[in-house]
Amino acid sequence: MAWTASAADAAYRLLGKPAPDFALRATSGKNFRLSEYRGDVVAVTFWGSRCGTCGAQLSALSRMVDTYQSAGLTALAVNVDDDQAAAASFAVAHPVSFPVLLDPAKTVARQYRVDNLPMLLLIDRGGAIRYVYRNHRSGSDAQYLEQIRVLLDE
Amino acid sequence: MNRSHKIWTAWLVVLAITAMAVTHVAMAAAPDALPPGTDAIAPAPAGDAGSAQSTEPATDAQAPVAAPDTRALDEDIQSIKKDVVDLNRDLFVLEEELLFPANTQVAVFLSMDVGEFFALDTVELRLDDKQVTKYLYTPREAEALLKGGVQRLYLGNLRVGNHELVALFTGKGPNGQDYSRGAQLRFEKAVGAKYLELKISDRQRKRQPEFQIKDWE
Repeated sequence: MAWTASAADAAYRLLGKPAPDFALRATSGKNFRLSEYRGDVVAVTFWGSRCGTCGAQLSALSRMVDTYQSAGLTALAVNVDDDQAAAASFAVAHPVSFPVLLDPAKTVARQYRVDNLPMLLLIDRGGAIRYVYRNHRSGSDAQYLEQIRVLLDE
Repeated sequence: MNRSHKIWTAWLVVLAITAMAVTHVAMAAAPDALPPGTDAIAPAPAGDAGSAQSTEPATDAQAPVAAPDTRALDEDIQSIKKDVVDLNRDLFVLEEELLFPANTQVAVFLSMDVGEFFALDTVELRLDDKQVTKYLYTPREAEALLKGGVQRLYLGNLRVGNHELVALFTGKGPNGQDYSRGAQLRFEKAVGAKYLELKISDRQRKRQPEFQIKDWE
């Protein structure tokens, strides 16, 4: 289910607010900071290697990034596994076209109040959290795409 | 007047000015802008998941032609925007002065020179054996430092007396291997602001990086 910035529901308290900045190390060894993508539409997904639908969501996001990267779409996948080796092997088995970041201490996950995996946030070009998805189902891809296109057009 | 009271007062001033600016723009735009009986903003449609954009003015086939004084209005808007930016800057300075008064302020800066023998990854700062910051550097940030940038890594408050600052640097060393070094400085904090600089430079003779903490007297 997607929570939008216009929804009266205050279930996700960061909705409509500036996305908290963070810097994390990726499986590639490079460091990435969210604020360096200001001006782009950023999809941030929190995932774990034991989550059943995370792989499907990562694949869907990877396809979207491949298509819309030139229009200003980027994605960051934040892994919250305790075991970084498991995260790395999962990332190898599910290759994606964006950085896979490691958050074993769950500092960033706590900042973003992650309560379910996968959890996807769409951040607009101004750095505000506009949409949140707390689950991934068949048909979710179409929803992501619709909202991403709205944000890219702004 | 305590600090929080001052901050609240400043925020109220900003809010009042913003409200005045909005009223001013609305009044300038209102005359003859819309035909009688037409609302300026259409009510948002209910139950639409994508209604985040629903606050846009309704497109009306009978929308009037733009008023001739739009240029003056645009200048007014730009002027008000500039005022808001200036106020925001003043508020930021005021807030910083209130949170970190000159008497107790301590600031730690970081600079890099050359960087042939060290690629910066993280810096951890400990003040009096308490971690105050740990910063992870992206390649872009490290590059900015190598180009001469100086980063304010920490800003806080310290009481007058003797203190110890420990900085732990990690990254890649001369041959690309993992490299970790520390630097330590004992300093005396007097009344007035204290500025310290972490300086990473190359020691060409030893072909090793050098880590120093400099006290700006």
